[in-house]
Amino acid sequence: MSDPLLYVRGLAVFHGTVQAVEDAGFAIGTGEVVALIGANGAGKSSLLNALMGLSRRSQGEIRLAGESLAGLAPHRRARLGMGYVPEGRRVFAGMTAEENLLVANREGAAARAGRLAEMYRLFPRLGERRQALAWQLSGGEQQMLAIARALMSRPRLLLVDEPMLGLAPALAETVAAALRDIAAAGAAVLLAEQNARAALATCDRALLMRLGSIIGEGTRHEIEGDERLARVMMGG
Amino acid sequence: MRTMARLRAWLTRDVNTLLLAGALGLAAWPFIQGDPYSLRLLTLSGIYALATIGYQFVFGHAGALSLAQGTFFGLGAYVAGILSVKAGLGFELAFPAAIMAAGLLAIAVSMPVLRLGSHYFALATLGIGQVVLLVAVNWESVTGGANGIAGVSKISLFGLTVERGWPLMLLVWGLVALGALAARHFSSGLAGAKFSLMREQPMAAEAAGIDIRRLRFSAFLLSALYGGAAGALQVHTVRVVSPEVLEFPVMVMLLAIVVIGGRTNIAGAILGAVLLVHLPEWFRPLEKYYLMAYGAALLAMIVAAPWGIVGAIAMARRKWLPEQNPPLPVAVSRPPGSARERLDIEGLVRHFGGVRAVDGIDLSIAPGEAVGIIGANGSGKSTLVNLIAGAEKPDAGYIRWAGARIDALPAVRVAQSGISRTFQSLKLVDGMSVLDNVAVGDWRSEIAERTRGEAVHLLDRLGLTEFAWRLCGNLPPGLRRRVEIARALMARPAMLLLDEPAAGLTEEERKDLARMLSELNRDGATLAVVEHDLEFLSRFASRLVCLDGGRVIADGTPESVRHEPAVIAAWLGRPPGQARDV
Amino acid sequence: MELLQLVINGVALGAAYALVALGFVLVLNATGAVNFAQGDLVVAGGFMGVALVGLIPLPAILLLPLVMLTMAAIGLAVSALAYWPLRDRPPVSVFISTIALGIIIQNGLNGAFGAEPRTAPAMFGAGRFEFAGLAVGHQSLAIMVVAALLIGGIHLLLGRSQLGRMLRATAQDREVAAALGIPVGGMVALTFALAAALAGAAGLLLANQFFVSPADGGNFIVKAYIAVVIGGWGRVGGALAGAMLVALFETVVAAWFDYAVASGLLYAALLAILFVRPQGLFGETVGRRA
Repeated sequence: MSDPLLYVRGLAVFHGTVQAVEDAGFAIGTGEVVALIGANGAGKSSLLNALMGLSRRSQGEIRLAGESLAGLAPHRRARLGMGYVPEGRRVFAGMTAEENLLVANREGAAARAGRLAEMYRLFPRLGERRQALAWQLSGGEQQMLAIARALMSRPRLLLVDEPMLGLAPALAETVAAALRDIAAAGAAVLLAEQNARAALATCDRALLMRLGSIIGEGTRHEIEGDERLARVMMGG
Repeated sequence: MRTMARLRAWLTRDVNTLLLAGALGLAAWPFIQGDPYSLRLLTLSGIYALATIGYQFVFGHAGALSLAQGTFFGLGAYVAGILSVKAGLGFELAFPAAIMAAGLLAIAVSMPVLRLGSHYFALATLGIGQVVLLVAVNWESVTGGANGIAGVSKISLFGLTVERGWPLMLLVWGLVALGALAARHFSSGLAGAKFSLMREQPMAAEAAGIDIRRLRFSAFLLSALYGGAAGALQVHTVRVVSPEVLEFPVMVMLLAIVVIGGRTNIAGAILGAVLLVHLPEWFRPLEKYYLMAYGAALLAMIVAAPWGIVGAIAMARRKWLPEQNPPLPVAVSRPPGSARERLDIEGLVRHFGGVRAVDGIDLSIAPGEAVGIIGANGSGKSTLVNLIAGAEKPDAGYIRWAGARIDALPAVRVAQSGISRTFQSLKLVDGMSVLDNVAVGDWRSEIAERTRGEAVHLLDRLGLTEFAWRLCGNLPPGLRRRVEIARALMARPAMLLLDEPAAGLTEEERKDLARMLSELNRDGATLAVVEHDLEFLSRFASRLVCLDGGRVIADGTPESVRHEPAVIAAWLGRPPGQARDV
Repeated sequence: MELLQLVINGVALGAAYALVALGFVLVLNATGAVNFAQGDLVVAGGFMGVALVGLIPLPAILLLPLVMLTMAAIGLAVSALAYWPLRDRPPVSVFISTIALGIIIQNGLNGAFGAEPRTAPAMFGAGRFEFAGLAVGHQSLAIMVVAALLIGGIHLLLGRSQLGRMLRATAQDREVAAALGIPVGGMVALTFALAAALAGAAGLLLANQFFVSPADGGNFIVKAYIAVVIGGWGRVGGALAGAMLVALFETVVAAWFDYAVASGLLYAALLAILFVRPQGLFGETVGRRA
């Protein structure tokens, strides 16, 4: 891929002495939705955390639009255009939905209000629940909030960690649709999921991850037919 | 030969050579600086050392931020002082009385206070201290009020007067030596290991059958007894009973000593006490500002060495000099039991936050079976494990084990009734050796040497022998898994309940683990293994139970289960928008 | 009547305590750490008033912003020296480091000013308003008004401004806040600065009516600790309510029994509350969805 938005090579992540990710390398282009599919413990979250700079020990090359992210603190990576939707949503529980969104935007008040309105258009349900404290929202609403919150800063690349977990099927569909729209609007999405079918239905390309390594890569159709898919899911 | 090997191993362990040098230096010091003031400082150092050794039980071993140690110290001082001045009792009676008074206070407050979480516990102990201080200041008739009682006599032991200077110092340090030996005994064998497990992995400690509450209480009580003893000695050294001894600066001193000297290292307590009692003296030339320099030194020490000076030296030493390990205890084999107990689960329900994590499960496991429990994330398998093990309580339904209901039992009792579990996120003590991490699993243990021998036998069985002395934190996940399984086996369980034991393991390691589990099952242990790796489970399980959405959707041989359409659908996930078939 | 008078005095004291408790709970939420130097920072603020009144002939009300700004700078120093190097270590290390910093402050003040109690200048002079048989000293009124303004200001800052939202987000989940572009290191430092400024204000306000001596720090920190525990660990509103309760209890009970007994009863009440309701009167911060 020429001029990828995200370029990763030789990424290794350690938790203490344990290696969670081994020699990961891939690229993501603007407007793509790439799924990172793997079972629990495969290293997906560790990989996403390392991209965001939240990992204590990681090595390797990470470039966003050609610029190296090495050594940059998480808040700097966010300002360069990376958005992050963590596993388990992790909304700011004691703040209202609206405050959760407002705090994530670093622009002036007018631009911030405008972006807020855009988010409410994208997720009308959030608009209805804007004054509710985040802990009072349902799982699906929290997921939408977490995604909208990450979108408030107009990221070029959105990292999403297991958004479908624990969601009712209808809500999972809403989330999937939102992610497709986000990519269509010009951002790129890296989606880590263990629900392989849901991830494949949403993405353009997929990476298969097992025990810390990326063992396969291809378009959605290629991966759907890949026999390694079942192994990756049922084989740990 | 063995003694020589032992001696050499001891000398090269940790910082023992350095401490030996320190001890010799300390013994030689009074010969160098023999004036009364220096001897008094040395005596006070011993007193604070004694109080800190006791404090290490509750603060270091039990890991509880108690702010009552100064109170026990002060109470001991008051009781000994008052009995000596007002009742004319000799030290041989006043000393035990002081210790008992501190102990009684500890017992009185332990029930409400020990169950509080950390910051509340700290405040509650602080509050108790303030109440005792107020009593001391206001009960003038007995305590002399704000002025206290002056003129406390020298120590009179069975009629003999212990003079100030050398005799008093030797008496104090003699008691310190006794206290240190006693403390060593109390934390010897596997007691230290049990405390470490309780402190760092309380859930795992309960799962290993260790009664945390009782352990915490004994630590608290011991700390009080030592504090009272030290206080009794202090009042005879300073010759006055005064409320100052119950005020916060005393507590700060003890806290500083234990953090800087080392939380569980007895030699560290002694070193820290000597250092911190003498430190303000070194800054005296600064006159008015000497305590300010003392505070600055304290700040510098805690920032530079957050794990204490002894801890820092030990870490540096481990880096630069390899350790000579003592010889392994001789392996003691145990006869393999054969399980006879049966597990019956009926209508089990558990929901929280509106989610039905377990939604009506019926399951029975016969003695000697090897059952695999599979399911995707969120299918309820971890909740099921927690329910069986007593870590969570069901909202409806029964769990029967060996005919008796266990669903209402606390985790520690379930463990003691023969069900040993492991954890998905490994709960080992990283800073402890593999051998001790395993040995601590035998809650019935009486003789530490024998228990360690049995642990060695298990290490042999699971291929861990060469790592026996390695610290758990340095092991790769595959080996750490085996350590946790070995720990679970130490309790001689009738049933092994494993929660995702293959997580983080390579293909090879999974094959090895499956083989080991197969052998354990053959030797008579009942296995219930929760996993999402079907291949792995098929290698040793004769029966697979598949969970989805908190219910059992399949139950049969691995062959039949893996081909069921409902199972395959649950595995690969459903496309978005497609609801689960009810 | 007499009771009402006591209540008024208690409210004035409570207003000052509330500033201390607020600073304490802000740092607690932002870092999870107990800042044991908070009490000594109160004393430092008081002594700053004592020192400045000799140098700058201004009424205390104009000294207030000066004291608060200087204390804010000291708060940044506390954060840099006692918290930041230990931010990933067990919380008890910060406990000790802030105790050590408190010792430095206390003994620095002791060396510079001596150990005797001093007074700081009054805000509006020593007169009093009288109505309906009650007397409210000008100073007491000043304490209540200033405290109300400061607390109100903080409330607005935290609740309505973007900076306040960033501070709260950092306190709730530091990692996620960083991943959203919030400079969390700066947020933590700012929180310490705010806490120190509030403590300084409290010290300046109290030092006129109640004298101030270097050893008073311990007393303030224990009161703040009690207020936060009573109010529910981590709850800002609870901390303020707790501070008011502590002050009222102290003032009212001390009038009937003596001060020592009042303190003893305060602790006994605290232990009783902890026994019956270990999560404090208002419960801990975040609820769980039923």
